[in-house]
Amino acid sequence: MSRTFIVHGVSVIAGLVALTLSGCASFRAAAPGDPLEPVNRGIYSFNSTFDHYLLKPIAKGYDAAVPNLVKTGVSNVFQNAADAQSVVSDALQLKGAKMGDDLGRVIINTTLGIGGIFDHASAMGIERGNEDLGQTLGYWGIGAGPYVVIPFLGPSSLRDAVARYPEGLYDPISTLSSVPVRNSLLGVRAVDARVGLFPAESLMNQAALDRYTFLRSAYLQRRQSLVLDGKRPKDE
Amino acid sequence: MKRNKLIAMFASVALLALMPASAQVAPDEMVKTAATAVTSVLKSDPAILGNPAKLKELIENKLLPNFNFQRMTQLAMGRNWAKASPEQQTALTKEFQTLLVRTYSGALASFRNNTIDYKPLRMAAGETDVTVKTVVNQANGQGIPIDYSLEKAADGNWKAYDIIVAGVSLVTNYRDEFNTVIRDQSVDALIKQLQAKNK
Repeated sequence: MSRTFIVHGVSVIAGLVALTLSGCASFRAAAPGDPLEPVNRGIYSFNSTFDHYLLKPIAKGYDAAVPNLVKTGVSNVFQNAADAQSVVSDALQLKGAKMGDDLGRVIINTTLGIGGIFDHASAMGIERGNEDLGQTLGYWGIGAGPYVVIPFLGPSSLRDAVARYPEGLYDPISTLSSVPVRNSLLGVRAVDARVGLFPAESLMNQAALDRYTFLRSAYLQRRQSLVLDGKRPKDE
Repeated sequence: MKRNKLIAMFASVALLALMPASAQVAPDEMVKTAATAVTSVLKSDPAILGNPAKLKELIENKLLPNFNFQRMTQLAMGRNWAKASPEQQTALTKEFQTLLVRTYSGALASFRNNTIDYKPLRMAAGETDVTVKTVVNQANGQGIPIDYSLEKAADGNWKAYDIIVAGVSLVTNYRDEFNTVIRDQSVDALIKQLQAKNK
């Protein structure tokens, strides 16, 4: 019963790509928290190929061609949009102090920081709340659920994947009315995010025996840590 | 004013020299001393980052003595540790240590321009297992929390057995990886993979 539910949920999220690729992966005993490992590994290798041939080369080109000052400005604009979304999640978790910080950040950076290009708030020592809807669900006691790898987007949990949809409804970038502007910005945002992953990627390549497992473990641990606001559950 | 500073400096150096070797260093002090020893070299001699041999020497002298690699390996192996023969355990510990040192040297470059904040340590008297919390401040204003789990060894010295970066425990991460390899293959296959990685 629960298995059909999970498979159904993922097919909605992952779409046909997942199902066609799942045929290629061999079956193994499932790791805890990752009952869909064969499917996930298929999508992971699809994503790696997509990244290798398209996203990473573009990100490398962007990283090399664009001056640092501009790159920082671009990152800041997207981060400012994310901070604005964070305010909603702060409120939903009744975290008043964080909400004040994030709201303050958005107001300062949007005005003084000229539309978010400059991150004056960080310089003033106002910390980023760094909240999202997936964390909000976690805060209210909803577990991560099975680990899922989303085509093109990468590691997620069922909970975090589900939270992406409503979160997109108030994303300042994806709700822009001009389609060409919106799509260009979404593209640049993906490239900017990819550039941000370069240091972590080289660390992973150095450290990991099996990148899929490395990434899964790091993702699930990081998300749990974010849900708990940095507090750690006692090790078993 | 300057004179006083100088005197204070000499006095502290003299105190350090006078301290008996067996004196117990508090765990947070130990972390701070080790981290400072490495970052100060990176600042005074940035060229070291391009010199793998010298970098390795620095890490082996300043950091390695503060880690308990056998315990780290044991924790990363989890239930599989008992399944490994003593020879396999020795080989695993050796290869895991090499891998961690190499990964760490690679990551050091990004630490050069960062400052480290040390959070106050909360430790009950007689405690033998503590977490030292630090925050590495990046140039962009965002801090990365890095926690060190330390255990008091029989000789009274504190040794680290896990590093938790932004909530991601090194030991837990490797436990998942080791588990996967052993689940699908064997302990020997894991040793072989580590050796291949370290080549």
